[in-house]
Amino acid sequence: MLELKRTLDAKGHGVLEMPSGTGKTISLLSLIVAYQRAFPLEVTKLIYCSRTVPEIEKVVEELRKLMEFYTKETGESNNFLALALSSRKNLCIHPEVSSLRFGKEVDGKCHSLTASYVRAQHHSNPNLPVCRFYEEFDSVGRQVPLPAGIYNLDDLKAFGRRKGWCPYYLARYSILHANIVVYSYHYLLDPKIADLVSKELAKKSVVVFDEAHNIDNVCIDSMSVNITRRTLDRCQTNVDTLQNTIHKIKETDAAKLREEYRRLVEGLKEANVARETDIYLANPVLPDEILQEAVPGSIRTAEHFVGFMRRFLEYLKSRLRVQHVVQESAPQFLKDIFEKVCIDRKPLRFCAERLQSLLRTLEIADIADFSAVTLISNFATLVSTYSQGFTIIIEPFEDRTPTIANPVLHFSCMDPSIAIKPVFQRFQSVVITSGTLSPLDIYPRILDFRPVTMASFTMTLARTCLCPLIVGRGNDQVALSSKFETREDFAVIRNYGNLLLEMSAIVPDGIVAFFTSYVYMENIVASWYEQGILENIQRNKLIFIETQDAAETSMALEKYQEACENGRGAILLSVARGKVSEGIDFVHHYGRAVIMFGVPYVYTQSRILKARLEYLRDQFQIRENDFLTFDAMRHAAQCVGRAIRGKTDYGLMIFADKRYARADKRGKLPRWIQEHINDGSLNLTVDEAVQLSKHFLRQMAQPFRQEDQLGLSLLTLEQLESEDMLQKITQIAHQT
Amino acid sequence: MTSLSEEVLLVVKKVRQKKQDGTLYLMAERIAWGPEGKDRFTVSHLYADIRCQKISPDGKAKVQLQLVLHTGESTTFHFANESTALKDREAAKELLQQLLPKFKKKANKELEEKNRMLQEDPVLFQLYKDLVVSQVISAEEFWANRLGGINNTDPSPYNNKQEVGISGAFLADIRPQTDGCNGLRYNLTADIIESIFRTYPAVKQKYSENVPHNLTEKEFWTRFFQSHYFHRDRINTGTQDIFSECAKQDEKGLKTLVTQGVKNPLVDLQSLEDKTLDEGYGICTTQPSTSNANKSVKDSSNSAIIKRFNHHSAMVLAAGSRRGELASDQASETSSTDGNSRDSDFFQPPVKKVKLQEAIEFEDLQRENRPKTVPLNLKKSDRYAHGPVPLQSQQYTTSQDIINSVNYIRHEMASYKPSLTQVLSSTAATSAIAALSPGGVLMQGGAQQAINQMVPTEVQGELKHLYVAAGELLRHFWSCFPVNTLFLEEKLTGHLEEMLQTAYSKFQVWQTRRMMRKT
Repeated sequence: MLELKRTLDAKGHGVLEMPSGTGKTISLLSLIVAYQRAFPLEVTKLIYCSRTVPEIEKVVEELRKLMEFYTKETGESNNFLALALSSRKNLCIHPEVSSLRFGKEVDGKCHSLTASYVRAQHHSNPNLPVCRFYEEFDSVGRQVPLPAGIYNLDDLKAFGRRKGWCPYYLARYSILHANIVVYSYHYLLDPKIADLVSKELAKKSVVVFDEAHNIDNVCIDSMSVNITRRTLDRCQTNVDTLQNTIHKIKETDAAKLREEYRRLVEGLKEANVARETDIYLANPVLPDEILQEAVPGSIRTAEHFVGFMRRFLEYLKSRLRVQHVVQESAPQFLKDIFEKVCIDRKPLRFCAERLQSLLRTLEIADIADFSAVTLISNFATLVSTYSQGFTIIIEPFEDRTPTIANPVLHFSCMDPSIAIKPVFQRFQSVVITSGTLSPLDIYPRILDFRPVTMASFTMTLARTCLCPLIVGRGNDQVALSSKFETREDFAVIRNYGNLLLEMSAIVPDGIVAFFTSYVYMENIVASWYEQGILENIQRNKLIFIETQDAAETSMALEKYQEACENGRGAILLSVARGKVSEGIDFVHHYGRAVIMFGVPYVYTQSRILKARLEYLRDQFQIRENDFLTFDAMRHAAQCVGRAIRGKTDYGLMIFADKRYARADKRGKLPRWIQEHINDGSLNLTVDEAVQLSKHFLRQMAQPFRQEDQLGLSLLTLEQLESEDMLQKITQIAHQT
Repeated sequence: MTSLSEEVLLVVKKVRQKKQDGTLYLMAERIAWGPEGKDRFTVSHLYADIRCQKISPDGKAKVQLQLVLHTGESTTFHFANESTALKDREAAKELLQQLLPKFKKKANKELEEKNRMLQEDPVLFQLYKDLVVSQVISAEEFWANRLGGINNTDPSPYNNKQEVGISGAFLADIRPQTDGCNGLRYNLTADIIESIFRTYPAVKQKYSENVPHNLTEKEFWTRFFQSHYFHRDRINTGTQDIFSECAKQDEKGLKTLVTQGVKNPLVDLQSLEDKTLDEGYGICTTQPSTSNANKSVKDSSNSAIIKRFNHHSAMVLAAGSRRGELASDQASETSSTDGNSRDSDFFQPPVKKVKLQEAIEFEDLQRENRPKTVPLNLKKSDRYAHGPVPLQSQQYTTSQDIINSVNYIRHEMASYKPSLTQVLSSTAATSAIAALSPGGVLMQGGAQQAINQMVPTEVQGELKHLYVAAGELLRHFWSCFPVNTLFLEEKLTGHLEEMLQTAYSKFQVWQTRRMMRKT
């Protein structure tokens, strides 16, 4: 709170690490809301970004609680407007559109019902279907602002149904005057979306990135492009379709094309701001990089542009026909393309803009079909805009299958600071927070910003409810490690199996085990199966395994929870960096122990990673090894942190790799885990770990009441107001 | 015994037992053997008493069948008819195989019931130890009139017996053993078969389709273990397999499970991401279409194992909860039809809301709902036990009454005149005082407690046990009257007297020991 207030006062940025389940969200919300109430002119808006939809909804529910408390204590209802925003898929109430399963389909369908030309045609031809919810919203909804209150996704939907308004556009419109907006990272970090949604948000906002330990990857992902042969083929058909459409229109309605040409000459590309539904495809580059001038003459007419795209496409195809790996920078690529097919840099930069305009002119209903050509034009714009921080790698085949040609062009962003820079520049305070941000100083370096405050907090516990153990040896003294050399070693695999088996016998309810990668897990599971270890484990608990299919994994997860619920107990085998490790919490009996098999290093042989490491070293002076270890440890911490979600919760955290005992690894764990690792638990054998766990679990299973916490990790109002308690707290704060 | 009315299912001649030739009879409820030339059975076991049967290996010279009883004793029969010995034994074995499980359940149930009773009732357990373990009376006699009563009067424990789930490792329990000549033997028990059927209904269906007509039971299971269905890590090679259909069915079941989706939105990984990146964007995208084709055999077998484990666990879980869900099935049926309707989120929010609330609530921050109770903390428990007794309502007196009585007493006192002619004699007075002082006749009540505390607890315990045991014996004794059957007479004259004698002597021993301890 203190640090946060300091950050807000200084109107600067902050990095805060707080253990999960200790009320991180609610303390952030309550302070910022209080600040907003106290200084309504200083902070006008809170933008709270979280990662997943359930997280977003959780935040809104907590906010609702806070507001209820305000109303109860002050006796007056405040006129705060807070709402969650999500994609159309989660907000659509149109009966046909919302029944579609994939987000892209929903977007496409929505677009085909709400695009401005469709609506214009609807005026002349009432049989043409339009979305009545949007029509209703457009005619009535804009005049009346959303009444003050807290709107979760479901509330928005219910409200939309009641009024007959489209909740999605209502939400998008309302975030402009809302006091608190809760949405996902992408709405701020992905320039393609941010430009549409978040462009007009006030500068005097506080931005909070929750669960931000992966924020650099989100930034990088949003700016990177992969092009395969399949993409090019589909793009080819897209271009053909475009050409045909142009021909057709030329015969019927040549005026339309002339009108477009005239508009492009004048540079009035954003004349139709009001038509929000049209701007489905935004520019992939950041707002301040978009050129505010007219589209160059060489691609101004529709035919010329299509021809231009064709040439560009042919060039890319020729590039993909390589036999060996090519790596080059963006300027090199531009130079090459100029020499080979005489494409200049400037028209390339306008590619995305021009395509957007063309698609609008041609009144193409289903834009989802044109994703390939959009991708290519976005790539063109990106590659010609940024000369630094990006790399182009062309691989003729996958590393694992060198005989099968599968050329891919990776255009990958190496600098996460590019995407997040406008956020830092635009908003007065940006707070980055998560349960696992250690080591703290690396985030400001890779995101290139200067925080006012950096702090890592621990929990005050009435009992030590987490028990991190580092198991470094098997019972036969074989060193346990997932490092590359011993990966296939049967002794290691057997000992890992033994560890899981012993744990399954003593830990009640749920155990979650994480492996370093999916392939590694498959191999280990197979050899455990052959050795009969899994059968023995099945005697104690049921086994569920994460697969690469999300639906199947969801089912396994639900069954896992069911098995924990009905007392049978279960084991979930999962993968670090996988979806489970990122988004699912294992509260209480759903996860009494987490076992981390190995150190989850990223696959280091990938060229993209190598390029990124090189870039980090050159630009930010971060050594490769430091970054790799940091990355591995933050994922390991994420995995084990899944088990502890609050002070009444308890769980074992078992790091099964001897490398965790080293200071450089251990030192990168979050403080709230680190301080519970004592020297005695650094290099345990499986048996020793079992003994310690038994003791721990027996102790933890004793009833734990509120009174036990009072005065230590829980304060009543009287205690909070008493003088000596405050002194005690400041003492504790000074110690840490 | 009333062997006449029994139905004889199988008679095998020339069966030796303890080196004596004889005939083996398999009857409806028991197996019996009588020596040749006599019309009495010297060996007779109820099927319910038999734990299992064992047979001698095929290669052995002697063709034998051994019956192991629950008590641990065993009886061995030697089939001595040279030409048909093996056939005879097989016939007996087959029949026993069919009969035993029927009785086994009953026996198990009884055993369980006995166990349960002993566990729940410590007094009974002590009695059991005193009488049965020390061999004063036999276990049968002990249970004879207890269990019957329970079974007849109180059948409810059976009805709401808890459903036992399936062990997750039941397939692992079928350990294949090599038989020495390149073959594998699987030992299947009735329990395992039931587990297989309950977990994999598809197999059960196959079984009922095929077994009596197309295949023998043995063949069926042989094929089962040979099929790739059992060994999931093998890639599907033969399509001739009758179980390949099962595999397909399972696959389908898994798929429907997957498409049904999950009820809890917090674990739904698909809807986790708010805005997924479009295809082609992002750092490391692996094209699934291409990687599928060049997947090695090993990879796909690995993923088959993983799939299998997920499916197996799901099925075991489902089998465990199937019974309970039968009732609620109807309800879910109707709701699932709702689920097919287009707008699925009309009824989704309740679950979602509950889960969300659960997720954001901290139980330690909640004010406890129930009124706060102070835990009872007694420093002196006997003060609590002998505390002041609350006043009875009828004993209340009004203040007016009190004033009146005080006035009355005052008046009495004022007009008091001792009448010395009517006082007690001095001896009577002293004796009364003696009786009222501690140790006196009238103070016995206080002394009683003292004895209670004087005797050490273990002595008390022993005495109690002896008392209960003797009581039980007496019960047996009196229940023999009127003596109207031979059995009862025998019981009475024979061992019951003996038993009482033992009990007396036991008491005697205890008494002397106590005396010795005292001195």
